[in-house]
Amino acid sequence: MHDLLANLALGFSVAGTPANLGFCLLGALVGTLVGVLPGIGTVATVAMLLPITFGLPPVGALIMLAGIYYGAQYGGSTTSILVNIPGEATSVVTCLDGHQMARQGRAGAALSIAAIGSFFAGCVSTVLVAALGVPLTALALLFGPAEYFSLMLLGLIFAVVLAKGSVLKSIAMVLTGLLLSMVGSDLETGAGRMTFDIAELSDGIGFTNVAMGLFGFAEIIRNLEMSQESREIVNAKISGLMPTKQDLIDSSGAIIRGTILGSILGILPGGGAVVASFAAYTFEKRISKHPERFGRGAIQGVAAPESANNAAAQTSFIPLLTLGIPPNAVMALMVGAMTIHGIVPGPQVMTKQPELFWGMIASMWLGNLMLIVINLPLVGIWVSLLRVPYRLLYPSIIVFCCIGIYSINNSPTDVVIAAIFGLFGYWLVKHDFEPAPLVLAFVLGPLMEENLRRAMLIARGDPTVFLTRPISCGLILVATLMLVLAMLPMMRKRRDEVFVESEN
Amino acid sequence: MADTKSSRKGGGFQFKVRGPRDFYGGLALIGLAIVAILATSALPGQHGFAFGPGTAPRIFATLLAICGALVSLIGLIFEGPPIDKFAVRGPAYVLVAILLFAGMIRGISLSAIGIPLTLPPLGLVLSTFAAFMVSILGSSEFKWMESLIAAVCMTAFCVGLFVYLLGLPFQLWPWS
Repeated sequence: MHDLLANLALGFSVAGTPANLGFCLLGALVGTLVGVLPGIGTVATVAMLLPITFGLPPVGALIMLAGIYYGAQYGGSTTSILVNIPGEATSVVTCLDGHQMARQGRAGAALSIAAIGSFFAGCVSTVLVAALGVPLTALALLFGPAEYFSLMLLGLIFAVVLAKGSVLKSIAMVLTGLLLSMVGSDLETGAGRMTFDIAELSDGIGFTNVAMGLFGFAEIIRNLEMSQESREIVNAKISGLMPTKQDLIDSSGAIIRGTILGSILGILPGGGAVVASFAAYTFEKRISKHPERFGRGAIQGVAAPESANNAAAQTSFIPLLTLGIPPNAVMALMVGAMTIHGIVPGPQVMTKQPELFWGMIASMWLGNLMLIVINLPLVGIWVSLLRVPYRLLYPSIIVFCCIGIYSINNSPTDVVIAAIFGLFGYWLVKHDFEPAPLVLAFVLGPLMEENLRRAMLIARGDPTVFLTRPISCGLILVATLMLVLAMLPMMRKRRDEVFVESEN
Repeated sequence: MADTKSSRKGGGFQFKVRGPRDFYGGLALIGLAIVAILATSALPGQHGFAFGPGTAPRIFATLLAICGALVSLIGLIFEGPPIDKFAVRGPAYVLVAILLFAGMIRGISLSAIGIPLTLPPLGLVLSTFAAFMVSILGSSEFKWMESLIAAVCMTAFCVGLFVYLLGLPFQLWPWS
């Protein structure tokens, strides 16, 4: 306990310097600014803004990125509540009740409850990250290549299970992502793989290009074909930003339950924040005495998912900082940023660069505080941003993305690759394939292959090594179980569909 | 990816594809897997206990082909939604805008595709402006004045942010 406090104190002394506070503030502001734009989710926001952190010192850059992350999430919920357009998957459920509240003239209360819930969740999960960081780092020492491989497999299975739509199609996406991640030079032999003799591909496909293509360009292309009048901004003046006492009482339970659920789901690799918000909403609706109010502006329907996704967003730093495994696409971008600054994510970060580790944890809390102190009063500005017509917005997003991608490596080829992935993403959407599992697999691919090869080499080519080592075996069992559980309802649904058809 | 819309005629007997989204989606994945297998076929595989560079890609490509086949099969057997219409206009403008930016910013030699023309690097200002204008043409509510003003503003903003504020090394003009 004493250590924990000392560590947190170190963290706050790092994050609390005026420069770092400034970076955090700046990150939160630009993150919100971009996150508010409809159709641009957290991943695309972080990817877009990655280049602006390049010139900063490592600690400052990561603090700013963390700020961008929270800002983007907050921006996403603002769009959901006011325009009924979820900026990203995590705020889909916030739309349901948040927008209804806004239409009833209670947009202010919805926005502030979202922020308060996020802040509370942020406080709890920050402590959790700090408390679990040390023991989990010790656990990392028990992890050999076989365990790492199994853990990543578990993460991918989670991503498959949690993605919406068909399990089979999600598995196909995972495999596509793994294949794409193998383009480029082989790690051990340096042999070019699937490069088709294109020199620019010999370093592999950059993750930012894939993310920007699938989440940025593809979104824009898709939005372009939708009719424009579907965007309905709540025009009523937002009055009474503060929630009433009754609102606070009503939502306090939901916030606490959402936080707990979110914290647990966030630690698990595989896109925790999305499922956390869905799970929290469903749970809240189920235990509510008035489930009929959900979908008609129930404040719990805003409080629970918003707390849950923020808690999950924060605890998803745990696998990254302790094991070096990015559990979702945003964390993968963080890995990218760390690598650019010469930091290898993993257990050694905590021991070798404690000021970085704890500074980042402290900055998470500060970032949340800034969101509540600074962003809430600025809601008016964000709303006016939403009034910019989409026909002017999307070209701006496109050029901004182009410049951002280009600036990472000064490479025009990267821009072209992102464009190709934009088209690919558009095609995926048309065929009901989810891009999220693909992206996670793309991120984990190289790590997985490396550990698979090492594990096999150490075990002298014996594939049962994954089942004979207890931790690895446990992880694989959980993964199998998850997959089976996910497949069962799918089979049943298929059968139901068939039955419905035959009855007609 | 364009092949997904073409209709299939079997030799003499007609398929009834019940879920075209899944069916053609799965086929495309099989195609991708085959490309991957062909592309890695020259790489050495398993060597004693050690994986070769070609082993893992071939494993995953094979699995992908199996998955694709299953997805297709489901599309063949079970009723599913039809394929949405692919828009052409919007994506085309967006694509051209992005490619234009990529070509203009550092210059490009078009000799590889048979056109004896080398474009000099045109710099950030012109590239941004051009990409903005082309992509905005894809909108159905295009207005000249408004678009020009927005393009100038956005270009100024990007130059200010990336070059002056962030100090990233960009060439601004064709001559500088």
